[in-house]
Amino acid sequence: MTTNADKLLGRWFNTNHETRGIAECKVTRDGDGISVSIIGVGEDGPIQWPTARATLLANLEEEAGQRTNALLTTFDLGFMRAETHMRINKGVFVIVLFVTFLDDSGRANYLNREFFYRQP
Amino acid sequence: MKMQFAQICDLVETEPIRDSDIDRGALVGNWINSNPDTTSITRVNVYEADGKLQLQAFAVGPDGPIDWGTTTADVFAAGPASRTGAGFAATFDLGFADVRLQAMIMKGLLVLAQFHLFKDDSGRDSYFLREYYAKTHDLF
Repeated sequence: MTTNADKLLGRWFNTNHETRGIAECKVTRDGDGISVSIIGVGEDGPIQWPTARATLLANLEEEAGQRTNALLTTFDLGFMRAETHMRINKGVFVIVLFVTFLDDSGRANYLNREFFYRQP
Repeated sequence: MKMQFAQICDLVETEPIRDSDIDRGALVGNWINSNPDTTSITRVNVYEADGKLQLQAFAVGPDGPIDWGTTTADVFAAGPASRTGAGFAATFDLGFADVRLQAMIMKGLLVLAQFHLFKDDSGRDSYFLREYYAKTHDLF
């Protein structure tokens, strides 16, 4: 693992204080890998998602401007699965979710993107 | 039974939405990479067959385009109660590598996040790339 991965570590808060999606994301070292923990916005308080291991990838996108890393992580919540990728773009931590519902609720599978700042 | 959710935006009442109910019009087409100097995927052909969204990708090779073949994509809407197709996800199994694609429409462009996951013994690092594609009316 390269030290560039350290730039992803930490607690990240949603830039939109009125989000109805992900409130917070925590990226931590987990042995020789990286784990991601997410807190969703709930009806009566925060909802802790199960922690998931991330696949670390070199980020070669041109606009990254430097050698950085991106994370590919899938959260399995039983009734839904959220495949995500996470990266830093110009100091902003970006999470893109592809949500698949596994229950019979009739909801459409959908995608969403949210932006996060590092805990000061 | 109470609807389960992990973020309150997923707590929605909706008539059942099947995959086939999602409008794929914005996704279907021939997409060309906006970066002429790309070293990765140059073109993606997105079409429907048998009710499924299909992708054919072409990448840059030393002697011309490399046809990755065709794979089936999962369609994603703009929200849990939406019938508007906003993106797709798919995997190309190239034998020596899996390439996972996550695509979304933004301002008329197809933004393609690519995850190149090597599974051979070459020692190459897996990598992430994100590129932009414009829809063309020309056939390949």
